[in-house]
Amino acid sequence: MNLLRIYVKSILRGRKVLIYTFLLCFGLIIYVPFIMIMLRSVGKNWFGRLWLPPELTLDWYRWAVEVTKIFRITANTLIIAVIAVAISTLIGIPTGWAFGRRKIPGKELLMAMILLPRMIPPIAYALGIAQVFYRLHLVNTHFGVALAHVAICAPYAILVLSATIEGLDERVLEASAVCGANRFKTFFHVILPLILPGILTSIIFTFTASYNEFTLTLMTYGKDTVTLPVRTYLAIGEGYWEVTSAMSIILVIPSIFVLFMIQRQVTPEKLVGGFKGV
Amino acid sequence: MNDYMIELRDVTKRFGSIVANNRINLGIRRGELMTLLGPSGCGKTTSLRCITGHNIPDEGKVFIDGIDVTDVPTHKRELGMVFQNFALFPHMTVFGNVEFPLMIRGINKRERGELVEEALQLIRMEEYRSHHPRQLSGGQQQRVGLARALVYRPKVLLLDEPLSNLDAKLREEMRFEIRDLIDRMGITAVYVTHDQAEALALSDRVAVMNRGKIEQIGTPTEIYDSPQSRFIADFIGLSDFLEGTVSSIRSDRGAAIVKVDDLEIQVVAGPNMEVGKRALLFVRPNNVELFSKTHEGGTNTFPGEVEKITYLGDRNDYRIKLSNNIRLRVQSDSKALFRVGEEVKVCLLPDQCRVIV
Repeated sequence: MNLLRIYVKSILRGRKVLIYTFLLCFGLIIYVPFIMIMLRSVGKNWFGRLWLPPELTLDWYRWAVEVTKIFRITANTLIIAVIAVAISTLIGIPTGWAFGRRKIPGKELLMAMILLPRMIPPIAYALGIAQVFYRLHLVNTHFGVALAHVAICAPYAILVLSATIEGLDERVLEASAVCGANRFKTFFHVILPLILPGILTSIIFTFTASYNEFTLTLMTYGKDTVTLPVRTYLAIGEGYWEVTSAMSIILVIPSIFVLFMIQRQVTPEKLVGGFKGV
Repeated sequence: MNDYMIELRDVTKRFGSIVANNRINLGIRRGELMTLLGPSGCGKTTSLRCITGHNIPDEGKVFIDGIDVTDVPTHKRELGMVFQNFALFPHMTVFGNVEFPLMIRGINKRERGELVEEALQLIRMEEYRSHHPRQLSGGQQQRVGLARALVYRPKVLLLDEPLSNLDAKLREEMRFEIRDLIDRMGITAVYVTHDQAEALALSDRVAVMNRGKIEQIGTPTEIYDSPQSRFIADFIGLSDFLEGTVSSIRSDRGAAIVKVDDLEIQVVAGPNMEVGKRALLFVRPNNVELFSKTHEGGTNTFPGEVEKITYLGDRNDYRIKLSNNIRLRVQSDSKALFRVGEEVKVCLLPDQCRVIV
């Protein structure tokens, strides 16, 4: 409503009309499909001919919960995401350290190779992953799906953490050594607290990447490891549009939480070294 | 055993093709404040980092308190260090920063608290104990850096250009504060700086470094009054240089005459002087006196002409032309004023003219 008022006001004043028109179009493109899904998920006997559904209901949500065992599927999704985040972070810290602080010959090439899985469509190598996983009996295990997700999560972790670690002040680490701290103590008392903002950022990015991942899950899931995006896709095939809409909305809720976390957490100074500019 | 707290023996450190330290021999006595002085890139920081263990010498050995520490990692060397950019732990409070070395050493909490409070009192920062470094001014941060370095009574205090990130006035105040603190603790200190005024004001002894080598070690007076190379005379204080040949040496070797063009200048005789040998004469611009042209001559008094005057507040800086090839820089207090183009008499004080062989 606020937007509309600003729009109307600016038209009345004849200022910046073009800008607001573009902004409105952008908003429409992004939010109209979302609003459609939302309406469908709570509408009863609504076939799209009317502006709004004639009756409102939460039945489709109940269906979604009961028929599709959505709690089980959400649990799957979260377990997989947590494993993928953990592995990616554990890879990301030492790799980020190597990229951020060491002189490595061919650093750019190595970084490009690490980022490659993010740049090419997952479907292009999902088949290869599936073949390998079938041989190793990793298909239909949480760990297996999570491992496939690491291919796209780890690049985020490495990218964010190498930037964070690069921003660490070498002199502060030297000061820690002079004060008597060995590498182990320096890591836990100085380095870890200083790169914590970067680690949190990396966790947010890797978590959303895994949580939203569809293609790689599709190629590696089994009946015990169905995730929310895959189940939503399958529901479309089953033809229950209303239930599918309800599932989509459920799928979105955690993402909104993450969005707020990102807004609070991801600021440039926190990304680079956490406490730069002291 | 010897009386050196720190000793570098034949230390050589290379970075690729650059020799940052070339056979450095340096002994620092117990309780002494030794300054490593030199322009940037002279290798003074490399030497300091050999003492801390952040650099491992390619050749030579490092001793602390008589023990060979060449292969001992930094954290076992029991040092205190103050950094140019302060290098405080940004995620810890002032108290946490000062407490850190004690915590690492596993000292119990009660004792830690007492020692930290004592250190904070020493630097007059008790009120700031729960501030974070970014909330402090540069001078305050550096005082916390000092407290962190001194709190566990290390054998040696190392200071790596600790004042160069501070503004000029504060720098001078902190100079005295650091010297005072070191005196009270009776600690051996190594101070690295490129600021010659700082070095002269603070040090018991100064080691002047250039291109990876130590050019001269001595007290500030020795370094300033009898520099042993043109580099040092040039780097420390202002100098006028005149090139000539030794024409005669007095029989008691108290003085000598150096002939520069057709001027015969009396100088303090050095031990290596020989008649007929080339000599580089140097004199500080404030050891040259200016008189009006009617002044009657004396030893080392020559006629000249004022070419340029720069006003410096408490004194004037003159450029004087003695002959076609000889220009002298002269600094004298503002009382006597001369004009550009004026003919004057110049007296190079004979007991202040020295020769670098």
